[in-house]
Amino acid sequence: MSVLSVKNLRVRYTAKGPEILKGIDFDVESDDFLAMIGPSGAGKSTLIRCVNRLVEPTAGEITLLGQDVRALNARELRGLRRNVGMIFQEFNLINRMSVMDNVLSGRLGYTSNIRSLFRHFPKEDINQALDYLDRVGLSDHINKRADELSGGQRQRVGIARALMQQPKLLLLDEPTSALDPKISREVMALIMGIAKELGVPALCNIHDVQLAKEFCNRIIGLQDGVKKFDGDTATLRDSDLEDIYAMEVL
Amino acid sequence: MAVTYSQANGLSLQTDLRRKRQIKMALIWGAFLLFAAWCVNGTIIEDTDWSRIGGRNGVLASVGRYITIDWGLLPELIVPTIETFMMASVGTVLGCFFSLPVAWLGAANVTPSKTILYPLGRFLMVLSRSVHEIVWALIFVSAVGLGALPGVLAIAMRSVGFISKITAEAIENIDAKPVEAIRATGGNEFQVMYYGILPQIYPVVLATVIFEWDINIRRSAVMGLVGAGGLGLLFFRQMNSFNYGGVTMVILAILLLIVLGEIISHYLRKAVI
Repeated sequence: MSVLSVKNLRVRYTAKGPEILKGIDFDVESDDFLAMIGPSGAGKSTLIRCVNRLVEPTAGEITLLGQDVRALNARELRGLRRNVGMIFQEFNLINRMSVMDNVLSGRLGYTSNIRSLFRHFPKEDINQALDYLDRVGLSDHINKRADELSGGQRQRVGIARALMQQPKLLLLDEPTSALDPKISREVMALIMGIAKELGVPALCNIHDVQLAKEFCNRIIGLQDGVKKFDGDTATLRDSDLEDIYAMEVL
Repeated sequence: MAVTYSQANGLSLQTDLRRKRQIKMALIWGAFLLFAAWCVNGTIIEDTDWSRIGGRNGVLASVGRYITIDWGLLPELIVPTIETFMMASVGTVLGCFFSLPVAWLGAANVTPSKTILYPLGRFLMVLSRSVHEIVWALIFVSAVGLGALPGVLAIAMRSVGFISKITAEAIENIDAKPVEAIRATGGNEFQVMYYGILPQIYPVVLATVIFEWDINIRRSAVMGLVGAGGLGLLFFRQMNSFNYGGVTMVILAILLLIVLGEIISHYLRKAVI
């Protein structure tokens, strides 16, 4: 059974506004590292945010880990979000907090208000955070403030934070577009390595087609809210790319 | 060099514009001076009891009475000075507590209801600031009686407007990205505020609170004028008993306290930012 299944997904931000997603269907299988490519404004970010309802869909069905996402109430939705690790284009760290506290904030969905008020996380969470910080290569920066780090290091904090959730699905929203080409490749390799190691499927928005081909086993092409391509990476032809990026004015 | 048509035309156009601007400025200044003269006439010339002033020497003699210092008042000053300082501090802390919910209601991006509670929050901010601290003190003196308590309450009420307004504005200006990240981890509303919003606003809020405390020391020094304790009460008593040296002594104590507050808040603010 698919980890994530999306059917006829439609989104409008305002009642009279333009339709951003115009009936999208796709599935994510348990061993997928799926790339979502397409020009700016195609709706990639909106689509990925519909999966954990950071954006409310207007119509369609989303089934994640066997649950009907759109039917959940606020408490059930928080329970679901805990299972979905998210990594962001601009890292979305809390700049004034330490690297350690940022990573631990990945556990908030599992932590009581009293504990989170005093930032008093359980011992096993702290040990887990140390392990992941070691895994992403930040052991020497644990007590630094997040805004003291370089871009690549910040994204590694973001990765560790997402892993703290013990996710069953990873959502990656342009994880490399704020980074230079060399660091981008390193970060993608790191995320893919960890995803494979933990057996977690990933859905990854990415506009760098080269990186998508290199790291992802499947590709979905999006253009102006419509799915233009869906298939294994090996089957993606140059003509498909031309089709996906046809409307982009160079 | 020959002057071309366009240059000549441009020059005359410029002189024309200059003259127009000069006339406009003359009119504006004329109107302003007329308005100022009208105000001076109303408030000073017609409203002053000139016969009572009684010449230059009379004025100097009245002012001169204050140029003595009644050192004998010193032991009586210590307790009210401390009381004034405490009133300002407790009032500021209490004001912070009142400010939190008001800022929460009055920040457009976090308010629970945009149609009812948001305007209410904004109204409370304006209400707090539009009523003078002495008027607040009069209200609380009549409500809870004489002493430092009405002063503390008055200062707290008067502080809410400024602290909550700056806090609400800081909340409205936060970066939404960390908030989104905390929401995505499954954090609840409290956790989103505590981890996503608070770290972003707390330097601004703390600096504002320190500034407000600084101002509140000034405010609490006059609370006694309406019976709400502190140095103001002593000041009032010296004035009533025509002890002009005592008045100067109290003013010196107030000055000292304010300078002290200024120094403390300077270093506190440095530590925060």
